Formats: sequence, C-alpha cells, structure tokens
Amino acid sequence: MMSAQLKDVIIKPDAPSSLLLDKHADYIAAYGSKKDDYEYTLSEYLRMSGVYWGLTVMDLMDQLQRMNRQEIIDFIKACQHECGGISASIGHDPHLLYTLSAVQILCLYDSLDAIDVDKVVEYVKGLQQDDGSFAGDKWGEIDTRFSFCAVATLALLGKMDTINVDKAVEFVLSCMNFDGGFGCRPGSESHAGQIYCCTGFLSLTGQLHQLNADLLGWWLCERQLPSGGLNGRPEKLPDVCYSWWVLASLKIIGRIHWIDKAKLQRFILACQDEETGGFADRPGDMVDPFHTLFGVAGLSLLGDEAIKPVNPVLCMPEDVLQRVGLQPDLLS
Amino acid sequence: MAESKEEVDVLVQRVVKDISIALKRHPNIDEIGLIQCPEARYNRSPIVLVENKLGVESWCVKFMLPYVHNKLLLYRQRKHWLDREALVDITCTLLLLNPDFTTAWNVRKELLECGALNPERDLYLSKLALTKFPKSPETWIHRRWVLQHILRQFSAVAHKTQQRVEAEQPDAERSQFLGSHLDRLIHQEMKVCSDAACRYPSNYNAWSHRIWVLQHMAKGNIKVFRDELSSVHPWVSMHVSDHSGFHYRQFLLKELLNTELSQSLSSDSASTVFCPSQHQSNTVHSTCPQANGELSLADAACRDRLTTVFKLFYQETELCADLIQSFPGHETLWSHRRHVYYLWHHWRQDQDLCTDGRENELKPTCINEPDGSQGRSVNRHKHVSVPMEVDRVSLPDHDSKRLRRGILLPNLLTLQNEHTFVNSILNSCCNAEQNNYAVAYKKWLDTVISAQSLDI
Repeated sequence: MMSAQLKDVIIKPDAPSSLLLDKHADYIAAYGSKKDDYEYTLSEYLRMSGVYWGLTVMDLMDQLQRMNRQEIIDFIKACQHECGGISASIGHDPHLLYTLSAVQILCLYDSLDAIDVDKVVEYVKGLQQDDGSFAGDKWGEIDTRFSFCAVATLALLGKMDTINVDKAVEFVLSCMNFDGGFGCRPGSESHAGQIYCCTGFLSLTGQLHQLNADLLGWWLCERQLPSGGLNGRPEKLPDVCYSWWVLASLKIIGRIHWIDKAKLQRFILACQDEETGGFADRPGDMVDPFHTLFGVAGLSLLGDEAIKPVNPVLCMPEDVLQRVGLQPDLLS
Repeated sequence: MAESKEEVDVLVQRVVKDISIALKRHPNIDEIGLIQCPEARYNRSPIVLVENKLGVESWCVKFMLPYVHNKLLLYRQRKHWLDREALVDITCTLLLLNPDFTTAWNVRKELLECGALNPERDLYLSKLALTKFPKSPETWIHRRWVLQHILRQFSAVAHKTQQRVEAEQPDAERSQFLGSHLDRLIHQEMKVCSDAACRYPSNYNAWSHRIWVLQHMAKGNIKVFRDELSSVHPWVSMHVSDHSGFHYRQFLLKELLNTELSQSLSSDSASTVFCPSQHQSNTVHSTCPQANGELSLADAACRDRLTTVFKLFYQETELCADLIQSFPGHETLWSHRRHVYYLWHHWRQDQDLCTDGRENELKPTCINEPDGSQGRSVNRHKHVSVPMEVDRVSLPDHDSKRLRRGILLPNLLTLQNEHTFVNSILNSCCNAEQNNYAVAYKKWLDTVISAQSLDI
C-alpha cells in the first residue's frame, strides 16, 4: 500500500512572524525602476495589471504618494485604443483584463477623466455575447473571469445599466458546479480564482442569493491545509494568492469565520522575504508584486490594523470605493 | 559573444532564421526546450536539434527576447514595417520564448485571417510551445481560436457542397473528407491535452480545453465521449492526485448520462405501447408488432441505454473504491466519490419525480439473456420512462439480477452502502489523512445528501 504525502509546506520556526510594511513599500517602490530587466520584458504583456498590483498594495500601506502619479496616468492614456479598450502596455492589443486594471488605477488616483470613459463603456458593452457571457477581447475567448472584469469596470464607472445584466447573470450561474463552486465555462472544474470572480460578479450584480453559500463555504474551507495556507483546488500546494481568492470569497459569502484565521495569518506572514521585502507564493520562494498585494490584502481582511481595510470584491482600499460611491453586497 | 547593438542584430536575425528553417526542414520536431549554457562556447548557432527535439542555448535568450519583443511592438505601433514572412518568423521565435505574449498570437490571427498563414501551422507552433509551457493560458486560447477558424472553414465548405448538391449531385466524397478531417483534429487535440496534462499536474487549462473541444467539436457524438471515458481510465489510475483529470471523468459521466437520458425519454415518448404482462420473446432486437403488446424496438433500446447508465455508475464507483483503497489519503479520490455519488443521487431523484409516486407499480426490468433463454418479464407503466427502483425492489430470482450484458444491478450505490464503505475504510485505516477524508465524506453524506433528500 502506498501512502500519500500530503501536499503542504512546513513553516520553519525562524520564518517571519511580524509584518514588515516598510520593507514591502521599499520593494514595490524600487520594482518599477528596473525597466531594462529581462524579467520586466518577459512580463510586459501584463504590465497594466502589474501596475495595479503595485499601486494598490502601496495605497493599502498608505504609501501611494511614493509612486509617480503623472507618469502612470500618461501611460494609461497612451494605452487606450480607438475602440475604447485599454492594453497591458504601449503597442499591445486592448483587452478587458487590462481595461479593468486601468480603471482601478484611475480610481485610486481619482483621475477617471484622464481617459475617454464613454468609449470604455462602449468597449465593454460590445464584448457581451448573446448568451450573456463576455469575450475578453475582439477575438472572442469566453471565460467567467471576463464576466467579472466587465461588471467590475462598469460598476466603478457607474454604468452597469448599459449591459444585459440578467443575461450576464444567467451565464455565470450556468458555470456553477455541484460543489457550489464555479469554473471558467459551463462544465469546467471549480477553481478558487474563478470562484472569486463569480462571487464578486454576483455581489456587483446584487445576485448573491443565487449562491448555495453553505455548500460553497464548505468547499472553500476545505482549501485550508495544516500549514494554515489555502490552496486553489484539492491536492494543490498552498499559495498566498489563493489564500486571498478563497478568503475574499468567504468574506463575500459571510463565512470568513469558518476557517482558522490565526493559522492563515501565520502562513501569510511566513511568505515574506525579510531581506528584500515583498511576499512569495510560499515560504522561501522568490517574491513578486502580485503575491505582495495578495499577502497584504489577505492580512487586511484578517483584520490587521496596520493596513487599510480592503474591499473583498474589488481588491481595492475601502476608502477609495467610498469616494467612488460603490458598496458591493456581502452576505452576512 | 555579441556585444554591440549591430552584433546583436545580426546574431538575433540569424537565430530567428535558424529556428524558422529548422521547423520547416524538420516537420517532426515534437518538443522544444532550453539548454542551460550561460556562455556561447563555439562559433556555432545556439539552435540545437537532437532526435526531433529543438533546443535553444540559454545564453542567447537574453539577446533574442528583447529584440523580437521590441521589433513586434514597433510594428504594432506602425513605427517599423515588417513583411509577412518576417512577421511569421519573429512571432514564431517570440512565442516559443514567451507564449503568453497575447499580441503576438493576435498578429498571427490576422495573418491567418488574410490567408497568409495556414491554420495547421499554428496548431503545430502552439503544440510546441505547450511542450515547454504546458499551462500557458494564451497558447490554449489561441488554439481554441484556430480550431474555431477551421470549423468556420468546414461549415463554409459544407455550405458550398450543399449548394452543389442542389445544383448538381451529392458530393459524398467531400463530406466524408470533412468528417475524417474533423475526427483527426479531435484526436490531435486529445493528444495535445494528454501531453500537457502529463507535463503539469492538475493542469486546469489543458483539461478545460479538452472539455471545450468535446463541447464544440464532438457535440452529441456519444462514441467520442465513451472513447474518452475509456482512454482516460488508465491515466487517472496512474495520476490519483490529479483533480482535473478526475473532474474530466465527472464531466464525461454527466454528459453521457444526459445524452442517454434524453434519448431514453425521446424514444419512450415515441413508443406508445407498453407491455402489460409476462411476455416472451426470442430476441430483444426483433421488431415487434406493437398492437399485441410485444416489446418494441424503442423499449429495448431504452432499456439498453439504462443498462449503460447503470454500468457507467457501477464501474466508476468500483474504480473509485479500488483507488481509495490502493492509494490512501488522496483528497482527489474522495472528491471524485462525492461527485459520482451526487450525480447518481440526483439522477435517481429525477427519476423518482418522473415516476410521480407510482414506484410500487414498477417492477424490475429483465430481458433476455443473449443465449436466447426465455422467461423474463417486462412490466412497464405507461409513460413511466425508466424503471428506477433498482436498489429497493426484491428481485424474483437470481437470474433476473442480470441484465442482458451480464451486469449486476448496481444496488451498491445506496446511502447505506456508502456508509458501509466509509466504515470499512475507517475500521481498517491507519493513515491519518485517509481517516480525515473518510470522516469528511461521511459528514458530507449526512448533511449535503440527506438535506437534498429531504427537499424532494
């Protein structure tokens, strides 16, 4: 008989156990200046999201003033295309993923007027399909992630009424599985990232009652491993980004108290790099801005008062959403 | 080693050409990879071809990638002109190094749309990229686009053929060609998905692509679904932690169930006759005159399909039990058990609703043995499409426990039997994880399944 090795990590006794905010702010502030780096070229195809991750985590740490506001706003302007959509970087093609990131960044800076908002709305609207789903760009790939991007963009712009919301909801619900979770398309496997998008979508469209919250909460709680970290699917390793997606989904459906918060906090803190600053996916791995945002945002949801409160649906500071006038629904 | 900008330009252009020539001259290249080699050692190309494997020495990548990257972006901004051939070569190198560069795939989509590029070439390029980057979401997305492009071409050809049919004569050869081309494409996709699934565990993008292919290219083709269920059987048995592989089986089961069920219902409604009493027939497949209450062909077909459904569930439950016992402590296997039981449970409940509380009138469905022995009863209530109470009925004799294909009726899938199974695991278990998963499954049965049973 073979015995399974449980897929988890062991947190060493000397792993970081306190939050190193200053180090993280220095790490993010320095990250944007290494523009000739080979890695920077490799990740240019998602630059706009990278900027959103960096700026959001800086704002959550109340350090947004350290970033170059004008340069970033000019960059976003240069990334808006004739069709209204926004691309990851200059010369790349527009896509819903980066359109949402750009709108989120402009909300952080209270500068939506820097781009042609009406054209953004037209772009998003034009990507809705007859079955209610959204294509990510003009080439037509369908994914529940794009349904989330579409309604999140429109909600931030206060233009939700421009799309067929009922049809959009119908499509997302058609991707619900027997375990209460969601996949990328009808029939696809439940996945914590897709679940985050779909619960966020249902929150923004006021349809959280359509969820089977107990069943979904059950599945989400089973993502917690003995190390305290959360994975995104059964028998995957724990990861700081999945910790955010699962935790945020639990918050949206009002069941965050179903997991062991103290153990999760210990796991997230152990993913910090004490020397360079920043968070990695797992303790001891290389840090990056993506995991740094989701590490800090996760700690905020767990109630760390050194960080600004984060909104679980949009992963943005609550004070920014108050300014925008957006309060997505949460189940109690 | 190249240093100045001019030297880098010359080097990169040569390597881009080398890659392009290698792919043209050796159409059997089946894998790409990076050869760890921090410095150029000889005055030779960094492209190495060994037994259908194309390798790039790592020292040149830091020159190549920024060069082809910037070249394409300048073209995209209309600051630098590139002809079609150069675009094909540059995007090829770029995508083999960085396959998530969406815009490069989009440039190739444009080349495909204007006929400058053959779709088969992009299926090949993306297949190669997946050997090094088996998860790459943009590569899978591009593959789906190319497949849809090909399907559109198919339907355009089919439309033309139909017009010709009206004008001249049927072009059977052509439609046969399209059919076999589609079969070949489906087969190729399954192979690409399998390879990517082997290269990265629980590869979400590979398995969800596989589902997409069945939904878009094999809709309603029950043979393809059945073949898939058989073909992934050995794979999942060897990858007991691969939740995506097991989810794929769940998807196949559900689709087969829906197809069998819808066909059962439609054949039932088409058949107005029911067999009121003991009836003897030499062969189920004989076409019986309906007026005298003989078993109709549709009834027999309906029962065959039910047999298939029972068999599917029975075999899946057995497979799952075997794997749980052989490989203790795998969450994936317990999750699979939940899903299979859930599907069965809901199918049962749907049938209960169909029978509208008349279950007592249902009798076991028994049909002839293939050897032609007689004496099996068929007793059906009118409009009751499927006799479902297989695990509660008392069977008249041990022979009737066998359906035509010699399968035991699956009375293993009762809630009580699931509890017996869990208890047997718990009693013999010395693995902490196995114990935890068994307890969680028990709890799931007690809460989720029991609550849903009360709903009905």
